[in-house]
Amino acid sequence: MDDTGELTLVARKPSFGLPTSCPQCLPVYIYLKFAKIPFTLSFNLVYPDSDQIPYVESGTNVAYNNEKGGVIEGLKKAGIVDLDSEASALPEWISMTALASSWLGDAIMYDLWLNSDGSSARKIYYDDLPWPIGKILYFKQVNFTKQLLGLTRENSERREEEIYRRAEIAYSSLSTSLGDQQFLFGNRPTSLDAVFLGHALFALHALPETSVLRSKLLEHSNLVNYAEKLKVEFIDNSSPSSSIPPLHTGGGGPSNWSSKPKTKPKKEKTEEEKKFKRRTKYFLVTQLVAVLVFLSLLGGSEVDVDEDDGDDDHDYDD
Amino acid sequence: MAIPEEEEEQLKNQTPNTDTDEEEEDELFNGDDDEFDDDDDDEEELEIEDSSPRSHKARMENLFRRISTEGVPLRVHDVIIKGNTKTKESIIESELESLRDATTVQGLLQAASIANSRLNRLDIFDSVNITLDSGPPELPGTTNVVVEVVELKNPLTGDFGIFSKPEARSWSLEGSLKLKNLFGYGDLWDGSLTYGWDQTSEVSAGVALPRLKGWWAPVMTRVSLLSQDWMKFSSYKERALGISLGLISTRNHELASTFSWRTLTDPSQMASRDVRRQLGHGLLSSLKYTFKIDKRNSPLRPTSGYAFVSTSHIGGLVPDYRALRTIRQEFDLRYSLPLGFYHAAINVGVAAGVVFPWGNGALNTPSYLPERFFLGGNSSPVCTLGGPTTLLGFKSRGLGPTQPRRRQVGENGAAAENSEDSSSERDYLGGDLAVTAFADLSFDLPLRVFREAGIHGHLFGCAGNLTKLTENAFRYLSFQSFRDSFRSSAGFGIIVPTKLFRMEVNYCYVLKQLEHDRGKTGVQFSFSAPL
Repeated sequence: MDDTGELTLVARKPSFGLPTSCPQCLPVYIYLKFAKIPFTLSFNLVYPDSDQIPYVESGTNVAYNNEKGGVIEGLKKAGIVDLDSEASALPEWISMTALASSWLGDAIMYDLWLNSDGSSARKIYYDDLPWPIGKILYFKQVNFTKQLLGLTRENSERREEEIYRRAEIAYSSLSTSLGDQQFLFGNRPTSLDAVFLGHALFALHALPETSVLRSKLLEHSNLVNYAEKLKVEFIDNSSPSSSIPPLHTGGGGPSNWSSKPKTKPKKEKTEEEKKFKRRTKYFLVTQLVAVLVFLSLLGGSEVDVDEDDGDDDHDYDD
Repeated sequence: MAIPEEEEEQLKNQTPNTDTDEEEEDELFNGDDDEFDDDDDDEEELEIEDSSPRSHKARMENLFRRISTEGVPLRVHDVIIKGNTKTKESIIESELESLRDATTVQGLLQAASIANSRLNRLDIFDSVNITLDSGPPELPGTTNVVVEVVELKNPLTGDFGIFSKPEARSWSLEGSLKLKNLFGYGDLWDGSLTYGWDQTSEVSAGVALPRLKGWWAPVMTRVSLLSQDWMKFSSYKERALGISLGLISTRNHELASTFSWRTLTDPSQMASRDVRRQLGHGLLSSLKYTFKIDKRNSPLRPTSGYAFVSTSHIGGLVPDYRALRTIRQEFDLRYSLPLGFYHAAINVGVAAGVVFPWGNGALNTPSYLPERFFLGGNSSPVCTLGGPTTLLGFKSRGLGPTQPRRRQVGENGAAAENSEDSSSERDYLGGDLAVTAFADLSFDLPLRVFREAGIHGHLFGCAGNLTKLTENAFRYLSFQSFRDSFRSSAGFGIIVPTKLFRMEVNYCYVLKQLEHDRGKTGVQFSFSAPL
């Protein structure tokens, strides 16, 4: 991409105090924040089963999530931003990145779709779709995740154990690698920081308190502090300009891990819903009255018979 | 109530010729059979006492004269239905309601032939016979109506055809299976599979009920899965899974309610920005009302009359605020003026349509992409009645607002060198306000062989415009700018109607097009389904 036009990141909606609550979108957001590049945040609320989202646009150029290794790779290749120029040669960095994206990615997927009551997933992906569509897509996604993670009825326990064990290994090695540093590798953020920070913030804020993965992460205090600090520095303090359809942001206190999901936006939403329901009821009643008036006017006389044959034209009007 | 002209003619044309079996007589009187008792003094005017041909003829003449000129009193005593083994009597009786109201022989004849055609229209009988039998002797001036039906031997029928619909850009293969009267309620079940050359496919199944618990109009419901591929024009594919309920379907009025789950996808990942923003799922729950008057003498080659269609489509009629909310209104007005020579006629028409979202934030929301208007295509404006859709000379979806697609990026990140802004690299987004108009002069060709084959020629001129209104674009729209941006074309051609299809060969000259429009001057072929 040689356009120097403005960047737009299209991601899924914000909630749980996060600028975007989808675990695939958050790392890209954080990466752009690390790079200190101005960008506009835009949301797609109706395509939860797309692997194209998140994507970054710049004029007529687009970097999709499912191309060229992801959006971050796409941005690197397009020459827009590359935070990994030094670190990418280090074998440790490469293996840490692989660990974070595959093992931790699997763990998040498992915890979000298969090992919880689904409330988080529904809030992130399906809240803006009408109920029947949201429900069907949710079940489709659950099945898809099972297939992706290779889960069957026979091996489900074994796989679960394996997934969490790998997550634990990943956390331990990242914790060891981080130590007391500000970033995971060196003194500058890399895409590994973006990926892991996105994962950590999601696990800490969006997963329910009963989540196994969340509790495993909380055992590593340096990782938690790392996530908290970077969130304050790069996400909370800077204000993203976003062009979104009218939506609550789910904002609240900066870091209170044990706090429940915010009730205030829920209240607003319920009020808005109530207002809509009332208005729609009035509208429906008006429509019904109009149809009834029409029927009574037309029902007073015999109906015109609609002839398909067209041969004999029998009109019986009163 | 005046008798419809055809009825009157039928009645007047019936000559009491006992040598030839007239179908009307058979149906209504059962002609030569002794349905009429000689000793029935109630049916005096219908009795045939003297068997000599001349007097019989005189009597029949007298009878028909009296029937056509006077109101001979006669009323229905009883309706007897025979031959229905599966069909419920209530279904048949509901089509015979008009018979019971008849008070004269004339009225009864009318009502009987109407009932006959209604029963035939149910499409569940092989044949229908209505005969008038004499009433009970103690009740003078009455008749018993005997309705004899022969139910379908084979309730399953199949159909296979090749059609071309105006909104599709190519042919489609359609196969359908119909199952008639499965439960005896006159129910018609059908399943159909349509596959188009442009990878449009539709699988649908439906049921139509002539009567549903006292609802006066037939009720139809249909479940369908439709896939449409608009990748070439607008970089998206649409899939719609829907259920529709036809509440009213008469000659002039049609009211249907639809629930449909629509999904827009872009497998090529090359869509323009506006299309990208609309990809995803949506629920369209809508009510569609169509009002139609067609007084033209022919839908394919009208030479006199007028037609008017108005379609109103309101979406979002569910309490769920997340459903798609949109209002769409279309008008189409046609007029045909015969010129009196060479079977020539001038057809003029104007059509307009507008679509707009409603609800909170509607002014800033774009209209739903599949619900927008798209102009273009080869279908004849004379034959396609129902809103602004065609503009001869322009390719399908070939005009209106466009947006550049995603730029191709080469391996090393540099932009691809080819096709910077050619129209094939742009998405046609459709518009919220569409207006089209046309004038067409059709005439027979001088050679008799053409005239007899129905081949005729025409000169035409079309104009149209398509523009965006949503996302505050209407603030910048002025009448002047709208008028100045009208595209137009003119041309001439030959129309060849055959049994399998209707072919038009036109030479079109594009008079005015704007940048990025895909108008093409030259010879064009178009095929449509024959009627």
